[in-house]
Amino acid sequence: MTVISRGWDRLTLPGKVLFLLIPLLIVATVALVAVIALLGQPILDTLAANLPIVRFVLAVTIVLLMTIPTAFLIIYMEMKIIALMNLRIGPDRVGPYGSLLSVVHGLKVLMKEDFTPTGVDPIVFTWAPVVVYLASVMALLVVPFSNGIVGQAFNLGLLYFFAISGLSVVGLLMAGWSSYNKYSLLGGLRSAAQVVSYEIPLTLSVVGLILLAGTMNIDTIVRNQAGWFTDWYVFQQPLGVLIFFIAATAEANRTPFDLTEADSEIVAGFATEYSGMRFGFFFFAEYVNVFIISALLVTLFFGGWNAPFPWPWPVELTIDPGSWGIGLLLLIGLGPVVLTLLFATPFWLASSRIKTWQALIVGFVLANLFIVTLIGAWAYVGLDWVAGILWFMVKTYGFVFTFVWMRGTLPRVRIDQLMDFAWKWLLPASLLNLFITAAALVVVKGLR
Amino acid sequence: MSLIPGLGLAKGMALTLRRFFEPKVTIMYPEVRIDVPPKFRGRLQLLYDEWGTIKCETCFQCAQACPIECIDMGGIDTRGRYHVHWGAAETYGERREESALRRSGRPVPDPAFRPFQAVDLGELDRILEEHDHDPADMLQILDETQAAYGYLPVAALKQISHVTGTWYAMIYGTASYYAHLRFEPAASTEQARAVDDHRPPEATYLAALDAALGGNDRPGTPARA
Amino acid sequence: MTATTDRPGAGRPSTDDPRVTLDQELGVFEPVPPYPPRTEREAEFYTLRDGEMLLNMGPQHPSTHGVLRVVLKIDGEKVVDLDPVLGYLHRGVEKLCENADYHQAICYLDPLEYVSSLFCEWPGVMAFEKLLDVRVPRRAEYIRVLSAELNRVASHALFLGWMALDLGGLTPILWSFIERDEIVDMLASLTGQRMLFNYFRIGGVNGDLNHDFMSRLGDWMSHATEQIESGNTLLNENEIFVRRMRGLGTIDSTTALRMAFSGPNLRATGVPFDVRRAHPYSIYPELDFDIPTRSEGDCFARYLLRMDEIKQSLRIIDQCLHQMPDGPIMAKLPRLLRPRPGRAYAGIEGPRGQYAAYVISDGTDQPFRMRIHDPSFIHLQAVGLMMPGHLIADTMAVMASLDPIMGGVDK
Repeated sequence: MTVISRGWDRLTLPGKVLFLLIPLLIVATVALVAVIALLGQPILDTLAANLPIVRFVLAVTIVLLMTIPTAFLIIYMEMKIIALMNLRIGPDRVGPYGSLLSVVHGLKVLMKEDFTPTGVDPIVFTWAPVVVYLASVMALLVVPFSNGIVGQAFNLGLLYFFAISGLSVVGLLMAGWSSYNKYSLLGGLRSAAQVVSYEIPLTLSVVGLILLAGTMNIDTIVRNQAGWFTDWYVFQQPLGVLIFFIAATAEANRTPFDLTEADSEIVAGFATEYSGMRFGFFFFAEYVNVFIISALLVTLFFGGWNAPFPWPWPVELTIDPGSWGIGLLLLIGLGPVVLTLLFATPFWLASSRIKTWQALIVGFVLANLFIVTLIGAWAYVGLDWVAGILWFMVKTYGFVFTFVWMRGTLPRVRIDQLMDFAWKWLLPASLLNLFITAAALVVVKGLR
Repeated sequence: MSLIPGLGLAKGMALTLRRFFEPKVTIMYPEVRIDVPPKFRGRLQLLYDEWGTIKCETCFQCAQACPIECIDMGGIDTRGRYHVHWGAAETYGERREESALRRSGRPVPDPAFRPFQAVDLGELDRILEEHDHDPADMLQILDETQAAYGYLPVAALKQISHVTGTWYAMIYGTASYYAHLRFEPAASTEQARAVDDHRPPEATYLAALDAALGGNDRPGTPARA
Repeated sequence: MTATTDRPGAGRPSTDDPRVTLDQELGVFEPVPPYPPRTEREAEFYTLRDGEMLLNMGPQHPSTHGVLRVVLKIDGEKVVDLDPVLGYLHRGVEKLCENADYHQAICYLDPLEYVSSLFCEWPGVMAFEKLLDVRVPRRAEYIRVLSAELNRVASHALFLGWMALDLGGLTPILWSFIERDEIVDMLASLTGQRMLFNYFRIGGVNGDLNHDFMSRLGDWMSHATEQIESGNTLLNENEIFVRRMRGLGTIDSTTALRMAFSGPNLRATGVPFDVRRAHPYSIYPELDFDIPTRSEGDCFARYLLRMDEIKQSLRIIDQCLHQMPDGPIMAKLPRLLRPRPGRAYAGIEGPRGQYAAYVISDGTDQPFRMRIHDPSFIHLQAVGLMMPGHLIADTMAVMASLDPIMGGVDK
């Protein structure tokens, strides 16, 4: 007994944890294997029988999880880009170039007290952030990230998108009304007026595109734009893009249309009374909205996941590692070592001041980069969905940059100017766009 | 506003994009610390002399000059003000109280202004007449005054100051330097004699010097056995 | 349940008390004063017609940041009436000055308007000099004008940033702080401090021009004009900014004069009144500069006028540097100042208008009475005239365009 207790005492804390964990893991693995062996076939059969449902649940989960890093990334972009435009450095302490600061912000809002002020309507107050956040996430469900990488592709995708993104105003209005705060009320009503007004030019600006594409299926719209970048709808619908861009900015409550949370006028708008993770939901939803409108701009007008030019050298990469036999083992085992030495040699030879271990570290890093590049290039060429995601993200974050850039530059418009602009300029312009498109279609068809 | 709508916005956007790539002005504070200007007055600093002793004598003149009364000294009850000196309370406690009292605007009792006891100045006038009201003979005047009155009364010192034109502070300083001069009547004759017998070495030295030089035109200290 | 009334505050309803109904408890949040209306205006202001509501802007509002409270009477988004509530930054500077001697009083004048400290010292020091009948050496006057005009540029630069910030622009505030930081660093090497300079002394200035200051000033002067110009292009032609500012908060010259406006706010209505020319002081009669005026009297005019004033200030600085005479920087003065009993008034042109001090001496070493005139107080009163009919969003824009500093308003 004493031997055991002495041995236990000698273990460090990680050692103790591992000592307990390893048997537990072994037992769990054995149990899991047993369960799969006994019940695996029935479970698999059930899942396979309901494949659409499984796929949908999986997609929703992935999209829901995806919003968080997306929001973190855009928050970081906003902090850093606006700082650089202000001639500041911006976040630079947490993580490389401060890139983890938004994560820290996320943790901070999680740790803060979830405060419910006196006089609020508790149920509405609690559920408002959820409505706002879920509206954003659900809108993301129909955005095609790449060829086949889409939450749910269906015929009325575009209509679904506008319907769902219009739901967020309900959440904002709930937040504004339930907060028992005049600023919140003003913010909620402002957002209602704004979103409802801009919904109309936003939708009308896309009608021309729907006429051109002949469908409301987002996936088909993207496929229609394949080929060279001149095939993108932006060149057939320039006015539509402009209207869509402006209206989408207003729809996402971004500068210069961020009247709902104008901090110099109505403290924080509908979010005035919120704190902790509820505020965090509003915060995340705002940035997810930025991503969504950028993604939709790209999808509808800028070719979606299509590259701006077709890949000029069609390559047939058929790699079958199984046929390599012992070569595969050798490649995995020796490849990295050989590459490391190969990359280290020039540095080692270049100067006697570079020590061997330094050269080896450089070689290791370079070899890793080389391998990653190699695999990435292979994936880009060989798997078209990887290329699609790459192009989609590059374009989308380009537009995210534009939105952040606008925030760093422009002052805010006034509510009456906002309304004037929507009803007196954007609505006629979008109707004009629709008319021109329809007329052009008729003329073209008649000529044919 | 320009003729083309949106040109102003575009110009602004172009400007911010240009600034995006420009060098930044942030000073990375904890790593980089810029020097304060040489004339910077925001820091109270105590100076040390060449032996490393603090030069502050807790005279409280700085505390009294400070218009917003942010300076205070001492370790007790500083009411959030700056501590500029730490020391034994008995070295500055009195001055601190006086300084605080003075700043409060109430009248400050000053022992120097206590009414002094009047004495008969006839004897003193004779002594001064003898020395021709010459401040150069101050030590003799003081010696003889003490011989006449038994001690140096404040009234007599004031009179000496008034007549010879010497600052009272100088006379007081001279008188307080020599141990055989006293400002209070001697408690007993023994004690007075004991103090009298204590000859200041400087006085002895000066008398010897005068005797050696021969020319005793400036009468030194009265010779004693 | 027996009520125990012996503890203090027992009569007041408390949240813990179950007898307090929700309605009673929540009524506290209305920004209505707890006393019955004392004036007709107050009674009228706090009587709400149909569809109107009171909105408490400040003191915890991000734009008033703790120093000002504005009670807005709004009808939807439209401001019907407005009532600024002052006193959040009151320090009793005048009374403090009366309890300090003449040298010490100068340092109380600094924090009055913390973005243009030198202009707050100046009238006080000038009034003291008039009381004591001191002639300031010419070099000291030149140094005063030089440093004060630098401070004016710093103040106007900050105005630009604040105004843009109140309109929702994030960038101009930081660019203008860069501008201000250069000037303030420069003045720090001259005066020793960055914000509350405490530089002017009775009969001169505290310290001569030094090498550090002159080299920084030379650097800055070589690029100041283009730096300010390039920063202005962000706002001057910006359609959103211009459309929001033009025709907003208009005030005509008669009303402005009746409200005792001064400085850029008055000149934006077309009245070319500038204390530097109207009642010349210091060495301003020797300097060549224009007084820019604009006739519109709206926020945009006030903004553009301040930008024009920066250019004139740069001209003055240039002339000061070229004409700087040699000589002493302090007049000969006794250590203890006891002016003869009398009164003195001195007024100067600051970045916001006429700053003035009126001092009565009773022959002791402390001022018997000191009265400080600050333009921000007057300009803030005019917000009530300008605002009705505009929107909530314009409240802060109008206030920013008048450029009041609450330290000066509350004294």
